Amino acid sequence: MNSHIQEKRGRRLGITYSAPMGLWLTFFFLVPLCIIILYSFLKKGLYGGVEWEFTLTAYRQMLNPNFMRVFLRTLWVAALSTVITITLALPCGYAMARSRHQVMWLALVIIPFWTNSLIRIYAWIAILSSEGFVNEALKALGVIGESLPLIYNQGAVITVLIYMYIPFAILPLFTTIDKFDFQLLEAARDLGASKPESIFKVMIPNIRSGIITAVIFTFIPIFGAYTVPLLVGGKDSYMIGNIIVDQVTKTRNWPLASAFSLVITVVSTIGVIWMMTSTASERARLKAPAQVVDANGGIT
Amino acid sequence: MEKKAFTRGWMVAVAATLLVVSLFFATGCSKDEASSKGSGKTLYLYNWTYYTPESVIEKFEKEYGVKVVLDYFASNEDMFAKLKAGGSGYDIVFPSQDYTSIMMAEKMLLPIDKSKIPNLQYISPLVLGKATYDPDMSWSVPYFMGASGIAVNKTKVADYARDWSIFADKKLAGRMSMLDDMREVMGDALAHLGYSVNSTDDAELAAAQKLVNEKWKPNLVKFDAEGFAKSFSTGEFWVVHGYAEAVFEELEENRWDEVDFFLPPEGGPMYLDSMVIPKGARNIELAHQFIDFIHRPEIYAEFLDRFHFPASVHTKAAELMTVEPFYQGEDLANYELKNDVGADLEKYNEIWQTIRYVN
Repeated sequence: MNSHIQEKRGRRLGITYSAPMGLWLTFFFLVPLCIIILYSFLKKGLYGGVEWEFTLTAYRQMLNPNFMRVFLRTLWVAALSTVITITLALPCGYAMARSRHQVMWLALVIIPFWTNSLIRIYAWIAILSSEGFVNEALKALGVIGESLPLIYNQGAVITVLIYMYIPFAILPLFTTIDKFDFQLLEAARDLGASKPESIFKVMIPNIRSGIITAVIFTFIPIFGAYTVPLLVGGKDSYMIGNIIVDQVTKTRNWPLASAFSLVITVVSTIGVIWMMTSTASERARLKAPAQVVDANGGIT
Repeated sequence: MEKKAFTRGWMVAVAATLLVVSLFFATGCSKDEASSKGSGKTLYLYNWTYYTPESVIEKFEKEYGVKVVLDYFASNEDMFAKLKAGGSGYDIVFPSQDYTSIMMAEKMLLPIDKSKIPNLQYISPLVLGKATYDPDMSWSVPYFMGASGIAVNKTKVADYARDWSIFADKKLAGRMSMLDDMREVMGDALAHLGYSVNSTDDAELAAAQKLVNEKWKPNLVKFDAEGFAKSFSTGEFWVVHGYAEAVFEELEENRWDEVDFFLPPEGGPMYLDSMVIPKGARNIELAHQFIDFIHRPEIYAEFLDRFHFPASVHTKAAELMTVEPFYQGEDLANYELKNDVGADLEKYNEIWQTIRYVN
């Protein structure tokens, strides 16, 4: 009886505790999202804003081949940057998890973030430009005579995006690898696996949830990138984020901007759902053997 | 073991928090918010960035015993969207001509009481002739009229055309940038072809589109309205299309001789920024006093000196200026104000997409 009351009160307290968070999300996430959805179905105002008239014009405009091109380009840039980011972040996370100086490594990953992101992008401009550090160094070493075109192109955009988002991949990878039982690797080696085999067949599947989190933490912000393509990109580097800003600040087409934002939100949501279902299925997979043992125990 | 796991968990939590917090700082806004002092009133201005001379503001504060709070915008569209979304409380806003007329049409402005601004006598009649939307200053008082031009780094480029055709010069390919601004670039092309910068004629627009896409764009590194002045100062870009004040702001004064800044003689788009009093202003009286103060000849000359602007809207300030402006008022002879093209903006949008989105 007593415990029953306690449980009931606990449940009520749970609601109380989660209320601030719930209210915060409702006001600052759900309400704006609803406004975006609503705006995307309205008619554009001549001078920005919207007129209260239902229309699908924004979505029809979105099918314009010029926009589709930018959409595909964004998808391609985001996918490629994410793959490279994860490939670089995996060994980093591994080395950090196995290191005795974890705090130092963590600090080194985090500290650059105390500098404003714009300043870090401008630093990259100083590094990559034709009279920048890289070109000057290569010229001084006699490797090249003429400056290489390192900036204002797609390569520069991808390079800087990887730099900006790699900490978001390293941190979740580090936490999962840190929890990984490294004795499993030894066991795999004892059972005849080669070193790469033990990594790819034993470790990678076990840190899957970390990899998925890292993919989502990098892919989603890169998919909505705006400043990086604007500042280090060239004529060919427009991404969806840039289109959205243009539609709001230049061409006064708020419904179209809303429709594009919705696309980004939908892509992100699909990513998060994928993450949730795959971690859920992983949990189910991990639980499965225990249930088998229970069943056997029931028989004996 | 237990303890280690515990501290590790904490470490990660702290690291994640720091990351998130630093992100907030990185993207957070940095609005200047000044607390008004007890005494006197506060005048709220909403102006373009790098467009308000600090010394003039200080003099005004001293003379009238008030405080001036400045807020900045980077484009007319930003400003307009903010005011439309209910951002009120500004006493004076500085829109360009197209948005001045839009704000007039949308009934967002309060009338100017000309009897309170005797210095309006110095406003050039030539400028008012171009301001067809408000030729008698009932709603807006001109602040400055100018145009974007071309800056050439003379240490890198020896021989070049001093007009818009410089962007068709293949020798300079990969070293030139134009503004990331639809009306500016389209206006330049239209003017170069001899058309009005406000053209809505399909054939003329198509010709301008062809010129930009086929002759100019292949030689450009990028369309850049943010970093071009920096890239110009480092020698990365040799020829840039942009505003003089932005270009020279990035250069030490002893390097100004290296730069040839000119307005192409064919003409092009021009802007006229005005001071308007939006509805919802709290200090209407003080706003009138500020407008009058700005157009006091010696004060206006101080403003022009600060930015090396020509005295394009003021008849008296030119003789009081102490520095050489970056370009002359007469250079604007063939220039045309960019008017609001209303619903035909869609034509421009479609063309601009082929310029910007397709490579």
